[in-house]
Amino acid sequence: MAEIWNGLVEAFRLIFTFDPEVMSIAGLSLEIALSSVVIGSIIALPLASLIHFNNFRGKHILVSVIQTFYSIPTVTVGLLVFVLFSHSGPLGGLDLLFTPTVMVIGQVILVMPILLGMTISALSGVDRNIIDTARSMGANSWQTMLVVLKEARFAVIAAVVLAFGRAISEVGLAMMVGGNIRGFTRVLTTAISLETSKGDWELSMALGIILIFIALVINIIMNRIQQRR
Amino acid sequence: MAFIELKNLGQKRDGRHILSGVNLSVERGESVALIGPTGAGKTTLLRLLDMLDKPATGKILIDGVNVTSSEKERLATRRRMAFVLQKPVVFNLSVYENVAYGLKWRGLDRHQIREKVNHILETVELTKYSKRNARTLSGGEMQRVAIARAIATSPEVLLLDEPSANLDPVSSAKIEDLISKIIRENAITVIMATHDMAQGQRLAHKICVLVNGEIVQTGNAQQIFELPKNREVAEFVGMENILDGVVATNKSGLAVIKVGGKEIETVTKFGAGKEVSLCIRPEDVTVALARLSSSARNRLAGTISWVAFNGPLCRLEIDCGFPLIALVTKRSAVEMKLKRGVKVYGIIKVVSIHVIERQD
Amino acid sequence: MKKILGILLVVVLVVGLLPLVAGCSSDTVDPLAAKVRLKVGTTTSLYDTGLWSYLEPKFEEMYDCEVDILSLGSGAAFEYAKKGDIDVLTIHSKADELKFIADGYGIERVPFAFNYFLIVGPESDPAGIKDMSPADALKKLMETGAGTFVSRGDNSGTHSKEKAIWAEAGYDYATQVVGAGDWYVEAGGGMGATLTMANEKNAYTLTDMGTYVSYKSKLNLVPIVNSGSILLNVYSVIVVNPDTIKTLKHADLAQKMVEFLTSPEIQELIGKYGVDAYGIQLFTPCAGNEPTQ
Repeated sequence: MAEIWNGLVEAFRLIFTFDPEVMSIAGLSLEIALSSVVIGSIIALPLASLIHFNNFRGKHILVSVIQTFYSIPTVTVGLLVFVLFSHSGPLGGLDLLFTPTVMVIGQVILVMPILLGMTISALSGVDRNIIDTARSMGANSWQTMLVVLKEARFAVIAAVVLAFGRAISEVGLAMMVGGNIRGFTRVLTTAISLETSKGDWELSMALGIILIFIALVINIIMNRIQQRR
Repeated sequence: MAFIELKNLGQKRDGRHILSGVNLSVERGESVALIGPTGAGKTTLLRLLDMLDKPATGKILIDGVNVTSSEKERLATRRRMAFVLQKPVVFNLSVYENVAYGLKWRGLDRHQIREKVNHILETVELTKYSKRNARTLSGGEMQRVAIARAIATSPEVLLLDEPSANLDPVSSAKIEDLISKIIRENAITVIMATHDMAQGQRLAHKICVLVNGEIVQTGNAQQIFELPKNREVAEFVGMENILDGVVATNKSGLAVIKVGGKEIETVTKFGAGKEVSLCIRPEDVTVALARLSSSARNRLAGTISWVAFNGPLCRLEIDCGFPLIALVTKRSAVEMKLKRGVKVYGIIKVVSIHVIERQD
Repeated sequence: MKKILGILLVVVLVVGLLPLVAGCSSDTVDPLAAKVRLKVGTTTSLYDTGLWSYLEPKFEEMYDCEVDILSLGSGAAFEYAKKGDIDVLTIHSKADELKFIADGYGIERVPFAFNYFLIVGPESDPAGIKDMSPADALKKLMETGAGTFVSRGDNSGTHSKEKAIWAEAGYDYATQVVGAGDWYVEAGGGMGATLTMANEKNAYTLTDMGTYVSYKSKLNLVPIVNSGSILLNVYSVIVVNPDTIKTLKHADLAQKMVEFLTSPEIQELIGKYGVDAYGIQLFTPCAGNEPTQ
């Protein structure tokens, strides 16, 4: 019990003295997760709209497959990315393994099903009359798509928040393709894993608290955005 | 050359024809009402007119140009029109933004948009709700937003689908006033769908009756009301008595028609032996207790089978070998002590009877 | 529309500014200022003692590069190296090292430091194996099942050493030891993690001296068996052969790492490492020579 208490005290000391190592790890975590979600959204939102607005053979199967991949294990994505980017793999020449870049690539793949699937269901939730109304008001297909996305914005934001949560909290992928290199690819989750295995509870707890705090702040921001309407 | 011309327009859904062989000309500035029962194809026709759907057959010409050819052409044409859908849907945005959208899409600058939107909101009396989320408005207010949104873009053609359906009588009257004001002030071409005959009569120059996906009759209100072309139109415009009979004799237009053992005189071009239906409005049937000597030629004796009071009016059915519905004022019904079992005469003027060919 | 763009802009700005705010990786991720990154695969025991964290900045400063330390079990380190994902190895599994070089993956095996393995366990010593020879101790554990033994189980150098001791005790590891009973636990983690686990389970484990000493303050485990020539633990540095793995780009720098680790200056630092903190020498430098007891 004393150990946990001491751990907490030390954790808060590390946080409030802006311990450079803790801050850099937290910063990198945020940076990687946010980059992944932003890049993922830039790809997923138009792609989801494309899938939603077009009828084609196998659409239902595609959507089911996407939804199945919501819970794809992070280590499976890690394995895939590792095999692709290892020097003996097809993309080895890019020299990206064990870099933050490849972690972002992996996380984009990881969050893509959530972003795609939840955006598609968000769009399906929009009244079909909205599309007709927009078109009748003279919107071209691109403008129509934006209107529908905007109508579905709360559900889309929820998808983005969920994707961010998955990105910042995953450990398997970050460990496998990032390599947990100190000062370069070490993020909150991999650091917690390492420090706990070393028995260094104080640092682990400090990092864990920061992780929860980040999640809290992001959720508050998103809620405020939603409440503006 | 008419402004809008529909040529042999048809539409299918799930392999079934829901609209076929529609030919229609609309002049610039004319307002046309499409009337017909629910499911007749009114909405389908409006959607084709607004280029929202592609027709299965036929084409649409505007100023003689076929506008259904390419998507680019269709979008350009759509931008000359506005369509108020039956169920008012507003975007989950402020009233102002709702009205501004169409203008933004047409590339107007912020200043022009503000000026225009504020003017329109004044027209539809929604200025005070400008900043409010449109989803929080009442049905009538939403419909006004929808109309404001439509006219904001100064369309050449305004398409309205049941503009006052699902609204309470007060909101409905308000919307109707607004539409007639728009028609008056803008010399705009209007094509509206309605199942309310009277509304069509109030708002339109020309009425098209649509039944089962076909235009069965086009004309002004009086023509449609008094001279329905067939049984369906007759039913729709309120001809409650449609009596099947056969022409017995026809002497230079004045004919005797046998209906359920009785003879009814009327004016028709159909010759002896022709199977016809007689259309008679209930208000054109006069009820009398005695065999009055009036100028009316048809006096049908019978017994009242039921009486129903409805506000200041009274509807009743006379069994005179066939059921004949009559509409009298409540006052005369009381004076004459009309009730079930009373023997009366139904009196019908020759000119009140409209004869149509019998359909199978 | 404008609001969505606005939100997006804010997000992008936040992402862009984070490195500045956090003051961390702005220099490491900026492609314009990209430095050569030398990837060193190391056995966890060298990493968990903190030796690499101590040496890494010195090398980086000396050669103006970034050193990425990947803390792996020796088994994984060899596999990563064979795939071309690592430039140089610091490792302690002699038989595997020799095979790695014989197969053409490594250029040369250069020992640079050594210490000893030891079997640690709870002070109560439930199996009664204190001060026995390593092979006898394991034999007794197997026969009595009176204590728990946590194995690395990850094909690391320490794990190889454990297998060698089992062989000396007369057991076939794969058939007789794996799955021998509930008392034999395969952890599948690094040295530090394995020590932490053994501590939690009041179990015995085989550890290198360096990691044990640096973890000692957090553990209730005491040395149980610490003598026997088989317990010698030699750390070598091996440059991955660029003639075999054509994608390697930093072979020259990797060679510098060998020179660095065996240089008198660094050898002295290795010898002194941890003495102040733990009051005991963690590593004995041996500058390219194979130590013999």
